[in-house]
Amino acid sequence: MTLDQVTIKVVIIAGLLAALVLFFVNPNTHGSRATQKIGVVLVVAFGIIVAWSPNISNEIAHRLGVGRGADLLLYVLTLAFVFSLLAHYIRSREEARRIAVLARRVAILEARMKVPPE
Amino acid sequence: MDDVAVIVPVHNEAPVIHGVLEEITRVFPRVICVDDGSTDGSVEAMESLGVVVVCHPFNLGQGAALQTGVEYACGDPSVQYFVTFDADGQHSVEDARNMIVVLRTEPVDVVLGSRFLGDVSEVPRFRKLALRFAVHFTNWTSGVTLTDAHNGLRAFNRAFAAGLDLQQSDMAHASEIIEYIGKHAFAYREMPVTISYTDYSRSKEQSLLNAVNVAFDVLVKKVTR
Repeated sequence: MTLDQVTIKVVIIAGLLAALVLFFVNPNTHGSRATQKIGVVLVVAFGIIVAWSPNISNEIAHRLGVGRGADLLLYVLTLAFVFSLLAHYIRSREEARRIAVLARRVAILEARMKVPPE
Repeated sequence: MDDVAVIVPVHNEAPVIHGVLEEITRVFPRVICVDDGSTDGSVEAMESLGVVVVCHPFNLGQGAALQTGVEYACGDPSVQYFVTFDADGQHSVEDARNMIVVLRTEPVDVVLGSRFLGDVSEVPRFRKLALRFAVHFTNWTSGVTLTDAHNGLRAFNRAFAAGLDLQQSDMAHASEIIEYIGKHAFAYREMPVTISYTDYSRSKEQSLLNAVNVAFDVLVKKVTR
């Protein structure tokens, strides 16, 4: 294992661990929303650069110890997929909680209308 | 028993709900049924008995139904004690009455039913094993020492009910209640109860695989808190 391969391994593992942290922290803070925005800007910027000059992705890949730019894209895409999956899971859990509170309020109001308080 | 509200979460229990409610109302006049999106005529069966029926617009899970029942009952200031009672007929009304007596006479906030304090010969063997595992898991996560973590028969006072906020909609609510006891250091006590394992109640039991979901939810909640 060369030193270069260690680099990409560290990058991937750090990314996955970051995904785990994202999973466990409260997603509704200003900080995490700001991070998401910065992330989007970075991804778009990276996309533009790579589209403009595909060789750059090859070069970055070589520096990180990955054979081809296409491989690097696959790794990054995998990480991005895991991140977005977790973000959706967190959001849907929060939404389910809110819907439960709303449905409960409706159910209780409806029942009180049927049975006027003594 | 006028100051006791019995909360019965109901989800598709039409074959037995009438009989179960009749038994309860013989002792406890105040019964609050929470229908959790039944599609089998349970609601009609309950309404014919004249008990309060609170209907979730769709299925939200048993934990959510219990929370709804508790919040509804808290709206009535004359209710001082709360009982949770499963709708499938596995609990005994006599046990519930004994729990209320303990709440009235002893300085405890919550009384939990345990099928393992009494005669356990009735409990199916595989289920016994799963429940033993569950109780160890819950004791470990909550710091409360119990012998039965997933018994639907409980009784508690108003102070306990007022702070209850069950977030786990599904079966993880049982662990959530125990964690709530541990977190706020409520005075608790376990009492032996009898569970009737009928063919019907067995058919309604949660699959043991669901324990994986429950354990996951409890752990995630513990880490995120």
